[in-house]
Amino acid sequence: MVDLTAAQLMLHQMVREFSEKEIRPNDMAIDQQRFFVNGIYQKLIDNGFLGLMLPEQYGGAGFDAIATAQTIYDLAVGNASVAVTLEGHYKTLDQLLKYGQPSLLERYLPSANQRIFAFSMTEPSGGSDHSTLGSTAVRQGENWVLNGNKIMITNGGLAEVYCVLVKTAPEEFSVFLIDQNMPGFKFGKRENFLGLTGTPIAEIFMENIVVPADHLLGKVGQGHEIGDSAHADARILMGAVAAGIIEHELEIAVAYAYQRKSGQFRLTELQAIQRKLADIALAKETTTLLYQEAAALKQQRRPYAEVAAMAKTHGSRQAVRAGDDALQILAGYGYSLDYPVEHLIRDARALEIAEGTVEKMRGEITKLEVATRI
Amino acid sequence: MKIVVCIKQVPESNQVKLDPVTHNLVRQGVAGKINPFDRHAIQAALAIKAQVGGEVIVISMGPADNEYCLREGLAMGADRAILLSARAFAGSDTLATGYTLSQAIRKLGAVELVFFGRQAVDADTGQVGPIVAEFLGWPQLTLASSLTLKDRRLEGMRRLGDLEQTVALTLPAVVTASNDLNQPGYLQPRMIKASFQQEITVWQETDLAADPLRLGVSGSPTVVRKVMAPQRKQQETVFLATDPQQAALDLHAALHAKNLI
Repeated sequence: MVDLTAAQLMLHQMVREFSEKEIRPNDMAIDQQRFFVNGIYQKLIDNGFLGLMLPEQYGGAGFDAIATAQTIYDLAVGNASVAVTLEGHYKTLDQLLKYGQPSLLERYLPSANQRIFAFSMTEPSGGSDHSTLGSTAVRQGENWVLNGNKIMITNGGLAEVYCVLVKTAPEEFSVFLIDQNMPGFKFGKRENFLGLTGTPIAEIFMENIVVPADHLLGKVGQGHEIGDSAHADARILMGAVAAGIIEHELEIAVAYAYQRKSGQFRLTELQAIQRKLADIALAKETTTLLYQEAAALKQQRRPYAEVAAMAKTHGSRQAVRAGDDALQILAGYGYSLDYPVEHLIRDARALEIAEGTVEKMRGEITKLEVATRI
Repeated sequence: MKIVVCIKQVPESNQVKLDPVTHNLVRQGVAGKINPFDRHAIQAALAIKAQVGGEVIVISMGPADNEYCLREGLAMGADRAILLSARAFAGSDTLATGYTLSQAIRKLGAVELVFFGRQAVDADTGQVGPIVAEFLGWPQLTLASSLTLKDRRLEGMRRLGDLEQTVALTLPAVVTASNDLNQPGYLQPRMIKASFQQEITVWQETDLAADPLRLGVSGSPTVVRKVMAPQRKQQETVFLATDPQQAALDLHAALHAKNLI
């Protein structure tokens, strides 16, 4: 378990209070109405959540990877969609901080305290396999001209700034920053997804969008690397989302099993139920350890992509399974749309797909294990 | 205007343990946080500062790790923080604490308003604010649920159950803030970070020109003979019939059986 510093602890206490008072009471409404009800999005902005990990020089608070992951966890205990919206924003800012040119960062990052930034790779032709991408950027004097179609973007429509992975030559990929206010930028349809319904997932179209040279992240041809880096950063936070969902499931399952009686026994006294409750608790602990370990490795500037992939792979499956156990414990109430367990399972299911499918991640984990041992 | 807010660090958990020998609260090794009522006091002080200008100084008394609650005060927007920390202060009851705080307020000089939370959630006495007022010889307004300052006249309302009382006093004064007084917002992440970059002044007994016999254990006449946790009784919940008429009859019978009606 990671020991929080005093400043991280104070942040954690604040975020937990915010999550308990502002988010959890709206959890069901967010799922059912498919947006951040009761001004939650504005409250996130007003209370400094968007700039939480942004360095002080850009008006942010400058909190580190451990504090950022802890924040995502605390928010996810309230509602996973809120946490995922910030996950998408933070991972994008991470790539800008790593690869963005100083002139671009000075112009854009101060505004990231008030508006969401998104990262986009997937196209209709494919997601993690970049070779199928059809979107392009073509050099035109000092500028670049972007064309194409990006889909399934986390925060699509809500975000105002997008980092997009495009082809700059056959088999050469690069990342550019574009802004919704640029001529040629258009929003497409919003996906009608099963879970995480508060977070909009949508497509964008780029029609001859002209950007200055400093909108290129890193160098021409560095797109794969930046994409992998974005995935690694995102997966730490997705592990934290999974742990937060499991905590929510555990809270509901224990509370119900304790007050519900079967004959003269509380459900918590029955071995069949104890096995389920213990498994949910175990899932929460293992997922927490994995995402915290990944965040600590990132903070120590050691390789973290593999443990980040493990946090998401393990956490996402465990969150679905733990939700299934919780549903069974609550029985009819668990199966009811009027109670939260079923939406926690739908939310958790998204984590097995978003930011790289678990199948793709198992491939990456194996590749890294082979590379370090053979 | 120089405004002081006296704040206390309390255990974060509600699972407070008692020392079996001293009967005092065991605070070591327990994560702390600012006493929730004190947030209302700081918020009130910041509101007065916004109205008339000046500075807000947060003061806490306790071991070195009480610095944490002072940083919370700074993160809320206080200008500076003072920690009263010395072996000589250890074991202070409310009287010795009140004396020590009042000496610190005297040392600051030109303080016109002192705020406290209505009480601390760990010991629940609510005595220290009034004691400080007495030591300073200033008027006091306890359990303030509203507050207006005009020139040097402070007017506030106290809500005491069904009773409301309006009190007016002249500065300098001591106010203890009830939780109806205002609604403190969440700490801003930026302010949290900045609060850890600020210096905290530490004062010991030698800084206070204090009478050593009034400090710590020697200044504390209170003897805690016994502290008991309220016994938890587990009782069966009886659910009434779903038919309203039958439920009313059952309720009447149950209350009658206990001679309650």
